[in-house]
Amino acid sequence: MLEIKDLHVKFHNRDREAVSGVSLTIEDGEILGLVGESGSGKTVTAMSIAGLLPRKQCRTSGEVLFEGYNLLTADRKILRSLQGKKIGVVFQEPMSAMDPLMRVGEQVGECLRIHTDLTKEERRERVLKSLEEVDLPDPESVYTKYPHELSGGMLQRAMIAAAIVIRPSLLLLDEPTTALDVTIQAQILELLKRLNKDLGISMLFISHNLNVVRKICRRVAVMQRGELVETGSTEQVFFHPEHPYTKHLIESIPTRDKRKENA
Amino acid sequence: MKYTAKKIVLMLVTMILVSFLTYTAFELVSGDPAQAMLGTEATPARLAALREELGLNRPFLIRYFSWLGGLFTGNLGVSFSYKLPVWQLIAPKIEVTLWLCLISFILITVISLPLGIWSYRRSGKIWDFMHTAFNQLCMAIPPFFIGILLSWGFGIVLRVFTPGNLPDLHAHFFDAIRYLFFAAVCLAIPRSAMTVRMMRSTVIGEMEQAYVRTAISRGNDRRAVLTRHVLKNSLVPVVTFLGQTMAELIGGSIVVEQVFGIPGLGRFLVASISNRDYPVVQAIVVILAFWVVLTGTAADLVNQRIDPRLRLEGKR
Repeated sequence: MLEIKDLHVKFHNRDREAVSGVSLTIEDGEILGLVGESGSGKTVTAMSIAGLLPRKQCRTSGEVLFEGYNLLTADRKILRSLQGKKIGVVFQEPMSAMDPLMRVGEQVGECLRIHTDLTKEERRERVLKSLEEVDLPDPESVYTKYPHELSGGMLQRAMIAAAIVIRPSLLLLDEPTTALDVTIQAQILELLKRLNKDLGISMLFISHNLNVVRKICRRVAVMQRGELVETGSTEQVFFHPEHPYTKHLIESIPTRDKRKENA
Repeated sequence: MKYTAKKIVLMLVTMILVSFLTYTAFELVSGDPAQAMLGTEATPARLAALREELGLNRPFLIRYFSWLGGLFTGNLGVSFSYKLPVWQLIAPKIEVTLWLCLISFILITVISLPLGIWSYRRSGKIWDFMHTAFNQLCMAIPPFFIGILLSWGFGIVLRVFTPGNLPDLHAHFFDAIRYLFFAAVCLAIPRSAMTVRMMRSTVIGEMEQAYVRTAISRGNDRRAVLTRHVLKNSLVPVVTFLGQTMAELIGGSIVVEQVFGIPGLGRFLVASISNRDYPVVQAIVVILAFWVVLTGTAADLVNQRIDPRLRLEGKR
């Protein structure tokens, strides 16, 4: 459904390419994991899919093919018609990713306002349904709340609701659970898995945390310093890593056994 | 509504405190008003009689409270120099100055908010340079100089108004407003330049925020990002700044009133200080202080309407 061919991104104010030669495909209905440490280029890769790269501040080459368009060079208008409607994005920090002065309900319904001709009342219905789908208790009251009145976990659910309200075909999740505590993290992962299964939305799940990726993805890609070092099924990458960097990443996961060794 | 009530109570307390400090200060500074009125040659008997007449024999706190009550009923005592009730003297001047400040404030808002957005959208090397240069120029020109230019250009050459002759506000309202308009322009130019700069930098700062990226990711175009999200978020500091502007306009009006020969509060204050007309000075100083407190509170209340996070305090 999405194909990245030899993607290069270089920001004018940096010496090194942020992404150099990444080729990747996301299949229909899958959750693809994208792992790597900070600065490895995973977010930049996602931003180039979402059309969020500042075109004036960077140079790109290669292709990001989606629905017949190359998202890197597509006209702004075409890009905007895909953004939100076909490609949804969920960011890391829900607190800052939400407009602090706009009611949550209105933000969740924003994609509908932009991409559909639904009336205000119809939009409200859809938003409430979407808030229910992400297991938010009491959607009616969440609808009228401001972001600062909700907890981080609730806000991230609302962000997911905002992204799926219009049923995009692709959801980009940029470290969606990193800012949340562990129990909430697990709930959000379950939620994403369910949405993937029930709604058939393909997802690109970005994380620096291999354990999280293992719980949700069947296929995983590993990035290091802007390059794709390994791609494969989660099991294969975890249990038979080929690249030394991947081995290194896996070894750095704290496990019970290791803790015993250290003690 | 609880936070509104709280703000207003706070405002009233501040006002009473300010009035007390002002009254005390004048009590300490002014010496004996009876002596000042009669001169050093006065006989003790006449001094005592005048003190009795002015109510100076009563204890300090009683005098303060009767004066404070007078602030609300309009009974502020009698001017030393004019022998007329203070309120009767200053009321028409307050009216003139308020109109001047109001016109000026409207000009600042109408000029600087669109211009601020416009100057944000025109960014780039040449635009930045031109913007900064023009902005600095407008900020650097003192209002009195613009005033002289406008008086000459529109008053003497074009004869749009007659410098030094403000038409009566009640008899010839529109003529008076036209006259005040030019004075208001002088006050507005430097302040507008500051507001534009402030607006521009605030919008640029807000554009860096994460919620802007979210808005773009949902398919908002540039305009929608600006109007639906960024502008509202940029408004809080701008409103605060405009509130301060409203307060400072009165101070600025003193100079402009001199240049245009407008019989306003500022000009009267300066004259009364030279005449050592304490009841008048006292009243004007307190009114100016109230004005500052009032505009600050108004800005706070507007901001609470804009930003729900500012209402938190009152909700607990």
